[in-house]
Amino acid sequence: MRQYLQGPLARRVGITAGVTVLLMVMTGPSGSTSQPTAGFVGSFSERSSFFGLFVTQRWLVWFGLALIVSGLIKLVKGLRAKYPDVAAIPAEVASAVKSPFQKMRSLRYSTYGVLIILAVLLPIFVTDGFWQQSLVEQVAIFVLLALGLNVVVGFAGLLDLGFVAFYAIGAYATAWVTGALPAAPPFGVHLDPFWAIPIAIAIAMVSGILLGIPTLRLRGDYLAIVTLGFGEIVTIFLNNEYKVTGGSTGSGQVPHFVFHVGPVKYIWGLAPRPYYYLTLGFVVLFLIIFSRLEHSRVGRSWTAIREDEVAAESIGINPLKYKVMAFAIGAASAGFAGVMTAAQTNFLSPQTFLLSFSINILALVIFGGMGSIIGVVVGALLVQVVSTWLDHYAPYGFQSQDLYMYLGAILVVMMIFRPAGLIPARRRKREIAMSEAGEGHMDELLTGDTP
Amino acid sequence: MSDDLIFDVQNVTLRFGGVVSLNDVSLHQKRGEILAVIGPNGAGKTSLFNSLTGVYRPQEGSITFSGEPGRSVSVIGRKPHKLNAAGIARTFQASRMFSALTTYENVKIGAESHKGLGAVGAMIGGPATRRGEKSSDARTVELLDFVGLRGEANTLSASLSYGARRRLEIARGLATSPKVLLLDEPAAGTNPAEKLELTDLIRKVRDEMGVSILLIEHDMKLVMSLAERLYVLNFGGVIAQGTPDEIRANDAVVEAYLGSTDTGEAEKKDDSQVVEETDAQG
Repeated sequence: MRQYLQGPLARRVGITAGVTVLLMVMTGPSGSTSQPTAGFVGSFSERSSFFGLFVTQRWLVWFGLALIVSGLIKLVKGLRAKYPDVAAIPAEVASAVKSPFQKMRSLRYSTYGVLIILAVLLPIFVTDGFWQQSLVEQVAIFVLLALGLNVVVGFAGLLDLGFVAFYAIGAYATAWVTGALPAAPPFGVHLDPFWAIPIAIAIAMVSGILLGIPTLRLRGDYLAIVTLGFGEIVTIFLNNEYKVTGGSTGSGQVPHFVFHVGPVKYIWGLAPRPYYYLTLGFVVLFLIIFSRLEHSRVGRSWTAIREDEVAAESIGINPLKYKVMAFAIGAASAGFAGVMTAAQTNFLSPQTFLLSFSINILALVIFGGMGSIIGVVVGALLVQVVSTWLDHYAPYGFQSQDLYMYLGAILVVMMIFRPAGLIPARRRKREIAMSEAGEGHMDELLTGDTP
Repeated sequence: MSDDLIFDVQNVTLRFGGVVSLNDVSLHQKRGEILAVIGPNGAGKTSLFNSLTGVYRPQEGSITFSGEPGRSVSVIGRKPHKLNAAGIARTFQASRMFSALTTYENVKIGAESHKGLGAVGAMIGGPATRRGEKSSDARTVELLDFVGLRGEANTLSASLSYGARRRLEIARGLATSPKVLLLDEPAAGTNPAEKLELTDLIRKVRDEMGVSILLIEHDMKLVMSLAERLYVLNFGGVIAQGTPDEIRANDAVVEAYLGSTDTGEAEKKDDSQVVEETDAQG
C-alpha cells in the first residue's frame, strides 16, 4: 500500500486531482467574511456553461484540462535527460548520522502534532480579552521575530543589534502600499495588506542585502556596531521625515488584513483570535522551512563559517554569500512580522521601533538557545508571557520600566550556568564544550587571526 | 608555461609591513608530482601555502595554477573559495575541522560546497535538492572508506585522534574534487604507526585519485620517503632544490638546519630528526 502511494502513478493522479481542485476553486464564485468558504462549496456543486457551447458539471471540464496538463508535463519530463542514479547511502552510515529523536519518526511527528493541537486550542481556553490580545501582539509576533533573528545570530553567528530596523521597514512598507502614509503609494494603487506581504518581505530583504554586502566583511564587534547604527538611522528617519512617514505621530489608518484569492474571501477585523490563527499558521510554516534550512547544506555551511571561516573558505564556501543569505532571510522574516503588526494594530509609530526592541528579541534568542529552533520558540513564549504578566498585573509593586533590569539579570545568570541557552542546539553545545576544552578556533575568529 | 606544470611560482615576494616573509621565491610543481617544501621554523613555508591558496596576497611576482593542461588561472588576487573551485584543496598546520560537526558532516560540506546556491530549494525540499543530497552522501561515504574513517562517521570531529583528524582533513579536501592537495605538516602530533598509515594514504591519493601533492613537513623520514622532489626554504628564500638524495648531500641545507658545515655529523642526525613547529606563522 505504502509502496503504491509513493509510486509515480499515485503521484501523478494526486497532482492531477490537485490541479483540478485548484482550477475549479480559482474560477468559482466568491465568498464573503461571514461565509468565507461559501464560494469554495459553490465551486464544486454548481453547473456552468463553458465557452457558450455546453452546460455541464464544472469538475468534469476542469478534470479533463488537468489531465491534459499532466500529460504535457510527463511528455516534457520524458524528453529531458535522465539524471544518473546515485548509489544509495549504506544503512549503517545513514542511521549513524541521525540523532535518536530523528530516528523515531512516529514519536517525532506525534510530538509535533500534539504541540500544534495545543496551540490551536489555546485561544479557546484563554477567554480573557487582554490575554487573547497579548497572545498575538506580545507572544506570536515575538516568536516570529525570534525565529528570524535566530537564523542571523544562531545559525550564521552574526551579531545583529539593529534587527528592529527590518521589522520597522516591513511595517512601514505595509502602511505605504496600503496608502496609510503621507507618501503616496506606488502607482497610486491602494493594496490590501495581504498583497503587502510579498512587497514588504521583498523590501526588507533588499535592505538586508544592501546593508549586508558592505558590512558583512566585518567581524564580531564591528558588525554589531554597524547594525546598531543602522537601527538608529531607520528610527530617526521615521521620526524626522514626517512628510514621508508621518513623523512621530506615525499612521493610524493601516487597513485590516484581507484574504481574497479566487473564491475565498475573509476580512480580519478587531477581534484578536483570527490574527492568532493567522500568525500561528505562519509560525508553523517558518518552523518547517527554518529547520529544513538548518539541516541542509546551507545550515552546514553556516556552521562551518561560524566555526572556522578560513577552513570553510579553503573548501570552497563563500562566506560573504552565506552571511548575506542569512541576513536576507532574517530581514525577510522581520519584515513579515512587521506586516502582521501593522495590519493587526492599524497603528504605527516610530516609538515602537527602538533599540530596546532589538535587544529584547536578542534576549529571547539567547535565553532560548542560539541556533536551537525549538529553544528559541520556548524561550520567546516563556519570556514574553512572564514579562506581559509582570507588565499588566504589576505584582509586588513591580514597575514596568524595571522589566529590562530583570531581563538583563536573567541573561547574566543564564550565561553563567547555561551558556548555550534553555534548550541548547546540539551544534552550539558542542562548540561551547570544545572551546572550554581549548579546542576549535572560535577565539581566533573573533580576533580575526589568520593562520 | 609548459603544459605539465600544475603550479608555476615566479619571483614571489610577500611582506607584512617591514617584515619580508617570502623573498623572490620561484618554484614549480609538475602535474602528478609529490613535492615537498622543507625549512626551519619561520622560513616562510606556511606563508607560501597561504599565498598559493589565496589567503595571503603577495605584493610581487606571479603564481599560475593549471588544474588541467591548457587551463590556467592566476592565483594572486583570487579568493580562497574561488581557488578551491579551480582545483586547489588544502589542510592546515593545526588541523582545523568544524569541531561541532560530525566526521560525516565535515566531509559532506566539502562534497556539496560547489553545488549551486539552493537556499530556496533547501527550504522547500525539492527534487533537485534531494538528488544533490543523495549524490553528496554517496561521495562522502566513498571518501570515508578511502581514508578509513567510515567507522567514525558519527563521531564528533574534535574527539578523533590526531591521526584520524589528519585523515579527516584530507578527506574533506578531497571531497571538493581538487587537482592538487596542499598538506601543511600532516604528520605533526601523530605517533609512528599513524605516520606510516599517513604516508601510505598520501601516496594512495596521488596514485588512485591522480591528485598532485604539495607537502610541508618537518619529519625528515616521512618527507624523504614520500617526496619525489624538494624545495628548501630559509629566511623566506629558496636555498636549494632537488631529489631527496641531492638535498641530503647539500651543504647549504645542512647549515640552515644545524648551523654547522660539518656534513658527517649532520647526516647521522638527519633521518631521525623531528623539529617541532611552534611558530604559528611557519
